[in-house]
Amino acid sequence: MLLYRTDEWYNKLSQEELQKLINQNKAWFEKLTAQGKAVPGRALERKGVTVSGENGRFVTDGPFAESKEAVGGYLVLDVETIEEAIAIAQSSPGLAYGGSIEVRPVAEECPLDIRARELAREEQLVTI
Amino acid sequence: MLLFRGNDWLKSLSSEEKQKVTDQWMAWFRRLTDEGKAIAGNPLEREGKIVSGKNRVVSDGPFAESKEAIGGYFLLDVASFDDAVAIAQQCPGLPYGVKVEVRPVAAECPVASELKHEAQLANA
Repeated sequence: MLLYRTDEWYNKLSQEELQKLINQNKAWFEKLTAQGKAVPGRALERKGVTVSGENGRFVTDGPFAESKEAVGGYLVLDVETIEEAIAIAQSSPGLAYGGSIEVRPVAEECPLDIRARELAREEQLVTI
Repeated sequence: MLLFRGNDWLKSLSSEEKQKVTDQWMAWFRRLTDEGKAIAGNPLEREGKIVSGKNRVVSDGPFAESKEAIGGYFLLDVASFDDAVAIAQQCPGLPYGVKVEVRPVAAECPVASELKHEAQLANA
């Protein structure tokens, strides 16, 4: 999965630059989907809320759009290796202007399950 | 879209607690899927890479033990933002310190809509 980290760097671009980038992005994405390497991804609205605390009692504004770490969008890839995913991220047209792309393998199994199994095994060893 | 943030909260749990949260989380996702409210979701591996800059440099990250790192996501299909917030409030990880970021999926790319807006201003 590619997570686009953004700080609204595109506000600095002129209209021509923006239009060029949008066209490049569109072509890039169409090529990936035609090759069966990406499934439709989406952009996220710049505003949202964060829910935290027991029963989700805290609802706060954020993330802040200007944050370099805020996620601006995502793309789910269908590739064999992380190297291929990294190569695709590197070919993203927007990188020349700013922002960064986080490349994360989708887990085969929930990490919670794996950790629970490890712990159960450790406890078993202790009992023996 | 719900983004689950925090990778470090698991450490403090016993294996029974972990199993309990895992089962609750899976049951929650199954229920939302059955109700047609969740259309996709995945846990993410704890480590990955960051690609950035004109030279497209690849670096390690995010760090697994970060409170802000994203551990997984649900893509929801709900009528309103409030519905999505209400679902986020049901997340079984919340009592343990997980934060759920709720973000509307954009109808079109914000860069494209910005451009349209600028064009409208220019024509006005």
